[in-house]
Amino acid sequence: MPDIIEVKNLTKTYGDFTAVDGISFTVKMGETFGILGPNGAGKTTTLEMMEGLKPVSSGTIVFDGLDVQKRTRDVKQRIGVQLQASSFFDGLSLKELVDTFASLYGRKVKALDLLRRVQLDEKAKSKVKELSGGQKQRLSIAVALVNDPKAMYLDEPTTGLDPQARRNLWDLITDIKRQGKTIILTTHYMEEAEVLCDRIAIMDHAKIIVLGTPQELLKLADVGSTVEFHVDRHPPQGVMDHLPGVERAEREDHGYKLLTGDPEKTLPALFEYEVTHGFKIFDLQLHQATLEDVFLKLTGRSLRE
Amino acid sequence: MFVRNRQSLFFTLFMPLMIMVIFGFVGLDKTPKISLGIVVDQPTAATQQFINDLKKFEAFDVTQGSENAERVALKKGERVAVIIMPSDFFPNPADLVISPPPAGGKNTAPLQPSYSKLKPKTLVMLENVAQQQFAKTAESIIRQMLDKTTLGIVQAPTFFEVQAENVSVKSTKYIDFLVPGILGMALMQMAVFSVAFVFADYKEKGILKRLLATPMKPQQFVTAQVITRLIVALAQSAILLAVGVWLLHTHVYGSLWLVALIAIVGSVMFLGLGFTISGLANTVDSVPAIANLIVFPMLFLGGTFFPISGMPQIMQSIVTYLPLQYLTHSLREVMANGAGLNAIAHDIYWMLGWAVIMVTLAMFTFRFEERRV
Repeated sequence: MPDIIEVKNLTKTYGDFTAVDGISFTVKMGETFGILGPNGAGKTTTLEMMEGLKPVSSGTIVFDGLDVQKRTRDVKQRIGVQLQASSFFDGLSLKELVDTFASLYGRKVKALDLLRRVQLDEKAKSKVKELSGGQKQRLSIAVALVNDPKAMYLDEPTTGLDPQARRNLWDLITDIKRQGKTIILTTHYMEEAEVLCDRIAIMDHAKIIVLGTPQELLKLADVGSTVEFHVDRHPPQGVMDHLPGVERAEREDHGYKLLTGDPEKTLPALFEYEVTHGFKIFDLQLHQATLEDVFLKLTGRSLRE
Repeated sequence: MFVRNRQSLFFTLFMPLMIMVIFGFVGLDKTPKISLGIVVDQPTAATQQFINDLKKFEAFDVTQGSENAERVALKKGERVAVIIMPSDFFPNPADLVISPPPAGGKNTAPLQPSYSKLKPKTLVMLENVAQQQFAKTAESIIRQMLDKTTLGIVQAPTFFEVQAENVSVKSTKYIDFLVPGILGMALMQMAVFSVAFVFADYKEKGILKRLLATPMKPQQFVTAQVITRLIVALAQSAILLAVGVWLLHTHVYGSLWLVALIAIVGSVMFLGLGFTISGLANTVDSVPAIANLIVFPMLFLGGTFFPISGMPQIMQSIVTYLPLQYLTHSLREVMANGAGLNAIAHDIYWMLGWAVIMVTLAMFTFRFEERRV
């Protein structure tokens, strides 16, 4: 797949403050590209520069062969944008809103079809303020689709939504992705990035600290799974260290925390130990490594600190 | 979208209409009637005739009652003056003919009443000191009426005559002053608040930013918004004028086209102010604070409700330069005095000058995006 977006040494400074510090990456046609990071990492600023909303301090962004800074309006004509917490004119119904936005692109659309795509056709005559949070986000995706864009930019599409609405939106995004649209989204939910994205750039303090597929990232960070359990009595010292796959065993007050690169081998062996060493396991939990752990490992901080 | 916003409709139409109707009906131009009490027992026909004449006077509100009751009313301040008349204050005409002329005299001579036999009659007027001016007015009117009657009785020739001529002048009722003022106020409110609130709201909610993400040009959007509001300004002027003319009987002597021109120039000036305010306000909440700080003093100093000529000289020389003053003044000149374009050119120039200042300020302060520090 050819690249549709090329970002080179992109920098944004506000006075002394550097919001985005010389980042470079490419996005392939049809790919879902995630920018992941904590609040204030520079995700939104990066996205808004890519959308032509904010001037660039230095560096270049090329979209589909067009320099975003020079051909801003041509780029805007070809992309669909959902802003973080953007709202719409209060006085208009959803259908009128979709029509209004289509006219801004010099287009006519079948507003009802578009609303049906985001499951809002029944609300076509409602006003924006009558919508729930999830419905508002779906509306803003519908509005971002009015110009049948080549690429869609979604800025934290699921922030502030309840889990069900979030899953609902993931389905919608997956659906749009299946139609071959390139999607660039920012999020601070690791799970969201893992579910939706083909490739992820993790940003922290204005820089991209790592970029790759979710699998690559998990491997790159070299974090395995964690097995946690309680025991009725502790077996002799050192026993747990010899379990297959275990990289580190931490003894806790009433149990253990085992870090393993291969939980499929570790667990059967653990149950055998239970019999041979005569102790009893309860409250067993297995944690798969997530991007959360990757972030923690790379930055030494948790994502939502 | 403008019409669907109930708040802006309120400020654009209903508030000015309400003020206009309330002030119009309260009728600040009506002088209160002079309340007269009359005490007389069993008046003769001529005396009753005099009382009836008094009652016909528009300026008087005449009550007849017993002396006690009227004195109490006077003390309470309910009467400006109380007149106590003897019942035969005016003698019946028959009584005036004292006697036929002595026999043997000239028969051809008309009957001559003998005035010397008529004693002067006295009428007591109790006047309310607190309302001396009105009481004196009443007194002089009554004196005049009595003088006329005296002249009538003695059939003295009239040497001096005042000839009162009715000249049809343009009505200078308060309502004719008020309606142009209200119209100016309404235009200002609409232009300032509809822009300041709406754009601060669009900005705060990120609607402007969302629009920027489309290929639309910002100046197109602003132009469309300005044109919408100019149309609203014309519609608003038409409605207010219609209500003023039909309901409150105000007059428009000058050209309606000129009124429309003034409305547009004035609106542009205040739209500039509206954009400036929405540029200065960081949030929607700070809009009313900033807007009212500018709009309210102007409302009362800009010749909306009362003429600025009533203010101290120093103040006058300052408030003359207020943008609203030029708007209300030119509207008033055209509507109440039938002024032409030349007569209001001065106001128009000043408004255009203010418009340039406001729009320039707006361009410096108003941004589509929220400023980031």
